[in-house]
Amino acid sequence: MSSSPATGSTRPLWVVVGILLAVGVVVPLLVPTYATTTPELFGFPFYYWFQFLLIPVVSLLTFIAFRISENATARDREARGQRRDDEGVAR
Amino acid sequence: MKDVSPVALGVFLFFFLLVTVLGFAAARWRRAESLDSLDEWGLGGRGFGTFVSWFLIGGDIYTAYTFIAVPATLYAGSVVGFFAVPYTIVLYPIIFVFLPRLWSVSHRHGYVTPADFIRGRFDSRPLALAVAVTGLLATMPYIALQLVGIQVVLEVMGLGGSGSWFAKDLPLFIAFAVLAAYTYASGLRAPALIAFVKDTLIYIVILVAVIYLPTKLGGWDGIFHAATKAFDSFNADNAKDIAAGTVAGKGIVPPAAAHWAYASLALGSALALFMYPHSLTGVLASKNRSVIRRNAALLPAYSFLLGLLALLGFAAIAAGITVDNPQQSVPALFEKMFPPWFAGVAFAAIAIGALVPAAIMSIAAANLWTRNIYKAFLKPDATPAQEAKQSKLVSLLVKFGALAFVLGLPTQLAINFQLLGGVWILQTLPALVFGLYTRWFHRTALLVGWATGMVYGTWTAYQVPLPGKPGTHFGGPLSLVPFTDTKGYIALTAFALNVVVAVVLTLVFRALKLPEGTDQTSPEDYKADAGDAGVQQLPDPLEGEPANA
Repeated sequence: MSSSPATGSTRPLWVVVGILLAVGVVVPLLVPTYATTTPELFGFPFYYWFQFLLIPVVSLLTFIAFRISENATARDREARGQRRDDEGVAR
Repeated sequence: MKDVSPVALGVFLFFFLLVTVLGFAAARWRRAESLDSLDEWGLGGRGFGTFVSWFLIGGDIYTAYTFIAVPATLYAGSVVGFFAVPYTIVLYPIIFVFLPRLWSVSHRHGYVTPADFIRGRFDSRPLALAVAVTGLLATMPYIALQLVGIQVVLEVMGLGGSGSWFAKDLPLFIAFAVLAAYTYASGLRAPALIAFVKDTLIYIVILVAVIYLPTKLGGWDGIFHAATKAFDSFNADNAKDIAAGTVAGKGIVPPAAAHWAYASLALGSALALFMYPHSLTGVLASKNRSVIRRNAALLPAYSFLLGLLALLGFAAIAAGITVDNPQQSVPALFEKMFPPWFAGVAFAAIAIGALVPAAIMSIAAANLWTRNIYKAFLKPDATPAQEAKQSKLVSLLVKFGALAFVLGLPTQLAINFQLLGGVWILQTLPALVFGLYTRWFHRTALLVGWATGMVYGTWTAYQVPLPGKPGTHFGGPLSLVPFTDTKGYIALTAFALNVVVAVVLTLVFRALKLPEGTDQTSPEDYKADAGDAGVQQLPDPLEGEPANA
């Protein structure tokens, strides 16, 4: 996320953050969709490898949400007339 | 009773002595140095950066519970045993959302415990007391679980476990006394220092176990097939009892009837984890809001190892391990498959992995007592020295309580006790988390909701018998959800009831115009970040003494 000019509402950004995070909470709880043994992968039943796969996927989604939230927070803070937290955005 | 392997025992004792020396030496650690050097570690300085926070928060997940109880449930064929993985997946998006707000408001007002925040937000001493007492109650079985972890390892090594009650429990008493002595002498410094040894040992053991063991057991393919075969033959042998419902069927994938149980255990445990006082300490020690959110994306690395570790329960089956107490399955697996010296390392990793969280939890519980019960109710004019003395004494008492838990009740209940603690601690969520967003809820409604959830949850858990043993109690975390024939995690059901009561009574109390008290906080408190006006530094967690609070 490059820092874009502080114009307009950040609401759409926060909505995207919410959706990305919601995926990470909801999908692991949809047990019926993945509670099967087949297809297997490297000897792992589907049930197991699917949940292992979810870990990096959700981690990535959360990381994207983090970057967007940093951007949105910086713009929110500017709109409120607060100092921009460059340290947090930089990384 | 089998023979003690001298090599394994020697290695184990070496590490145990090492951490004991470290624990006592910790009293001097950083104390003599100038205040500047506290910066990198302390809440009192700039707080923890991403790396240290990752280490600390991850350490809360890797306890003896992980090593012993999670693989044990898979070994025992519990169809919901793998829930630890979705639990540690859904956990992080949840903390991403609410913990930065708690960080902000805590740093604006100097709140150190969840009860501090409740008191300030809702202006309610009874509600703050309820939250503090729940924190204490819920932490106790969590500590007990750590002691069980030590006990299981000692038994597998052939120490204790039989003979008179004295000989049986003596090694655990010694381990406990050592833990109590050095946390008394060194406070939070001891576990902070020992954590380095602990984490190094644990990473080595996990990596070796999940890479080396499958090569000896026909790969993961062979491990899954062995487990499936064992469970199928168990189900065939016990078909009648399973049909009658007196024995639970085994399996590697939950059948449809257990789907909600699996999901509710994952969600309930995830919601509960950061209500515990000791996990919040680590989060509040973060440098700023970004550290918390970045870590929410980085911490799942632990979940991956946790999942592989859980599968060691199946590996134990494939290796032909037969133990009556499933919790011994992984230690027994290590003993059978590893050379004695490495088994000793693995046992030491488990035992030390139990000591560190036990120390941190008992100190967090003691601080909760001192700040929110002793100082708030019993002795408001206590001097800092009196407070520090209280903390030390209560930290001892809490550990004794945990020991009594372990010795007085069957050890195979360990995981269920921890889940009962989860039932209790989750009942503080509405006040704490909803309170971060809205003050719509009436303080008395939240209190009654909490009480309802506590009573319902405890009573329901009490009525759950151990599998195949009617008339016993606290046998598991699952119970029928009222008005349905689906089983779910009791904590989550109790939580739903709690929320319904809180909402209904809020409407009633608002209609009656009961006084709501004064809110100490303002909306911008919840967004403040490090460096903003009014954001204060919290006391150094290494001090572990309310003298600095």
